[in-house]
Amino acid sequence: MRRAPIVIAATAAGLAGVLSFHTKSPRLTLGSLPGVSATTGSTSTGGSSGRSSSGASPPTTSTSTPSSPSTTPTTAPSSTRQATGPQVNYNYGVLSVSVTVKGKTISKVAIASLDDGGNPRSESIDQQSIPLLEQQALQAQSANIQGVSGASYTSAGFQQSLQSALSQLGF
Amino acid sequence: MAAVEPSPRVTPRPRRAIAHREQVMGTVVTIDIYTDDGTCGPEVSLGLARARAILRRADAVFSTWKPESPMSRLRRGEISCGEAPPEMAEVLEMCAVARELSHGWFDPWALPGGVDPTGYVKGWAAQRAVDALDSVEVAGALVNAAGDIASIRSTTPFRIGIAHPVERGELACVVELPGAIATSGNYERGAHLIDPRSGRPVESVASASVTGPDLGLADALATALAVAGGEGLTMFDAIDGYEAFVVLCDGSSQWTPGFPTVRARCRRSDAAGVTPHRSGDGREMDV
Repeated sequence: MRRAPIVIAATAAGLAGVLSFHTKSPRLTLGSLPGVSATTGSTSTGGSSGRSSSGASPPTTSTSTPSSPSTTPTTAPSSTRQATGPQVNYNYGVLSVSVTVKGKTISKVAIASLDDGGNPRSESIDQQSIPLLEQQALQAQSANIQGVSGASYTSAGFQQSLQSALSQLGF
Repeated sequence: MAAVEPSPRVTPRPRRAIAHREQVMGTVVTIDIYTDDGTCGPEVSLGLARARAILRRADAVFSTWKPESPMSRLRRGEISCGEAPPEMAEVLEMCAVARELSHGWFDPWALPGGVDPTGYVKGWAAQRAVDALDSVEVAGALVNAAGDIASIRSTTPFRIGIAHPVERGELACVVELPGAIATSGNYERGAHLIDPRSGRPVESVASASVTGPDLGLADALATALAVAGGEGLTMFDAIDGYEAFVVLCDGSSQWTPGFPTVRARCRRSDAAGVTPHRSGDGREMDV
């Protein structure tokens, strides 16, 4: 078992890195995808540094949909619209997410900006995980599933920014 | 709603009444609550409040990043386990169980800096949170702690996709959730892991998923399996109620016979040498 503890240590160190993420903003509530709109005022430009752009609203107000969970975009259903979420911190830098919707369907999710400060470890992780996250977001709505299981370094920041972008579009 | 369904055999699907996101434990935890008609009664709201309190307390007690958390103080030797909140002993006891079940592949005591049950705590907290959601109004609920998912009773079983760690954007498979699922990725892929028993390199895996009734144990066992590699699947022969699925670095998959796959990829590499366990009833098919 000589090697095992070392390997476990490496894995746990990675996990610890994930768990260290965003300790400055212990609480955040956002609506989920799709169906609940978090109140979102500001948009992409402010470096919101790990805080939710919906931070002004009371935590519980954005969580309940008393009746229909169906998505109801406020504009014409067939139009193609695009929005960019706020810049949020993740483990190794700052990112923001843009989303394009056509009618009630998400057609594209992309990284609008990414600044990892040139951290080489970060770059390799970004290359692995960000395309995966984009596809997870798309697939979660298309497949008949209620969730996706899988670890990812940047998911928290990604989801925050994505959710804010969706909220801007009335999702 | 059932009256408009074309088939009389279709039971009404529960509808999501709440989709809540909580930033806690350094990640985003999603809480989805389903009710028969999609409405949100007082019991649902109370359950959500209980679940959120559980997650925040787990963070406060077990965070290794908050210097004043009981966990941090225990690690520094300032307090004993007996002086810590009662859940500390519970968690460490279950970590010891997970260490034994995983033949030492999961070992919070082997880490530098003192005992660190982080690999168990996230799943444990999410499991307790979903249990707290239960009430007569609830037709099903999911708590998803950044990809580790616990659920309670649903008349229609939840389906969860496992993200494919090698082929971006693909799902490695879809499972019908028997309770909980945890997935660990092996991010130290360059490392050559040596099986300490055989001295040979282990077959390293890109990700390891474990299903079972309790997310805390599933989380710990998934962590262990990600390190142990494909050969670690055999440990599940002796762990009642828990099943496992690994994606190897070449993109192929292996799983234990009872893994609750409803849809899995059949890759040519499987036939070419890597022989996955089969679930035996012919349910595998191309995505």
